[in-house]
Amino acid sequence: MDEPIRTGRQLGLYSCHTCGRVSERTGHAAPDAPLACPRCGTHLHHRNPRSLERAWAYTWAAIVLYLPANLLPVMTTVSLTGAVPHTILGGIHELWMNGDWGLAVIVFVASVAVPIVKIASLVLLLLSAGRNSTWCSRERTALWRGIEAVGHWSMLDVFVVVLLVGMIHFGPLAGVEPEPGLVAFGAVVVLTILAVSSFDPRLLWPDPADNPPQPNASPPPHE
Amino acid sequence: MPGLNVPQADVRPDTGAAPAAAAPVLVGHPGLVVCDECDAVHKRIRLSRGVVARCRRCGALLGRGHVVTPTGQLAFALAALVFLLIGNFAPLVTLDLQGIHKTVTMPHAIWLTTQAGEPVTAVLACVTAIVFPAMLVLLRLYVLGFLIRGRVPPGFRFAMRALRWATYWSMVEVFLLSALVSIVRSAGIADLVPGMGLFAYAALTLLLTSTTAAGLHSIWKLGSRLGAG
Repeated sequence: MDEPIRTGRQLGLYSCHTCGRVSERTGHAAPDAPLACPRCGTHLHHRNPRSLERAWAYTWAAIVLYLPANLLPVMTTVSLTGAVPHTILGGIHELWMNGDWGLAVIVFVASVAVPIVKIASLVLLLLSAGRNSTWCSRERTALWRGIEAVGHWSMLDVFVVVLLVGMIHFGPLAGVEPEPGLVAFGAVVVLTILAVSSFDPRLLWPDPADNPPQPNASPPPHE
Repeated sequence: MPGLNVPQADVRPDTGAAPAAAAPVLVGHPGLVVCDECDAVHKRIRLSRGVVARCRRCGALLGRGHVVTPTGQLAFALAALVFLLIGNFAPLVTLDLQGIHKTVTMPHAIWLTTQAGEPVTAVLACVTAIVFPAMLVLLRLYVLGFLIRGRVPPGFRFAMRALRWATYWSMVEVFLLSALVSIVRSAGIADLVPGMGLFAYAALTLLLTSTTAAGLHSIWKLGSRLGAG
């Protein structure tokens, strides 16, 4: 169990993220020559190219859209007494006041807590990966895994509004109309999912042995 | 240069460049696993049913002992197809407001959202709740149906990569919870009864979760054994 851990980059091994095949690169080639997995054709890299740039771009876009997503109404309820716009937080407040505490907590976690925690975690991961930090690599990888696992749940409110639009459709008696805030909210969810999936967690494991690269690119002549 | 006097398999005009020697060769190592999340190399071990292997360095999931055989997975996918159809065509809920009866299906709700002037939201909900789950189920049926009969399906690589993508973006389980939330939220406005569609989506969630948990590596390996790549 106490064997030292070797990395794929040290051993010249590439793992395919699509099919799991482990490939060893042999033969002479430029170090940046494009490699494709022989089994499934996925590009092979020790670190995904431009992972940080792409993840930062998606994260910034999500941060910008976070404001309209929470300030603009996501739906309007129409009844005989008039039309009332609802924001995400307003909907949660309404559930809480009606005594549906459990449900209010579920919606709060999915729609408010998860996006905030995701964006904050992304910024933390991106900043620390950008500085090649070796601090708490295992915990930071677990954090990345966590925000990847919970990301989908923020779509909850998008589905809820679409379903309410379909359900409460009784002309002037009662109706629910979707509002532009919902597009911004859905965009935040999609953008944070894209940011998390384009972040390469291997950047959380900067390897002192890899940097600078070992001078073993040219194998000794056997012939 | 004696090093270049290798037997030539094909005759091509000598351009001076040697593309065959320059192309990197990727040798497979079926006995190893490399962690996707931290690049640590591990020896592959055989996992018994229900056992989970995690990376020694970062704790990432490396593999799962297969709980469902490929034949079982095909059966699950067939059942999922049935529930997907019921879930989308049977009413999710039936509402009653002062004598006005209404049944709601997800495609209809999406259509009304488009009509109400939010087509982008409607498309987002449509792809994550209907299109990707349907793609996931149909691609699984296609790939597994061929592999179980000992044949590699045409377009195997493409189908498998599309399947991975569809699995990543399918949000059936979130949709199920949303349906429950929206039922509670509209209970104050109209009388409502949960319909067949809701139970079908619940069954679909269970089936998809249990089949997608195993990942796709075993299907790739099955394809490789039959001669795909």
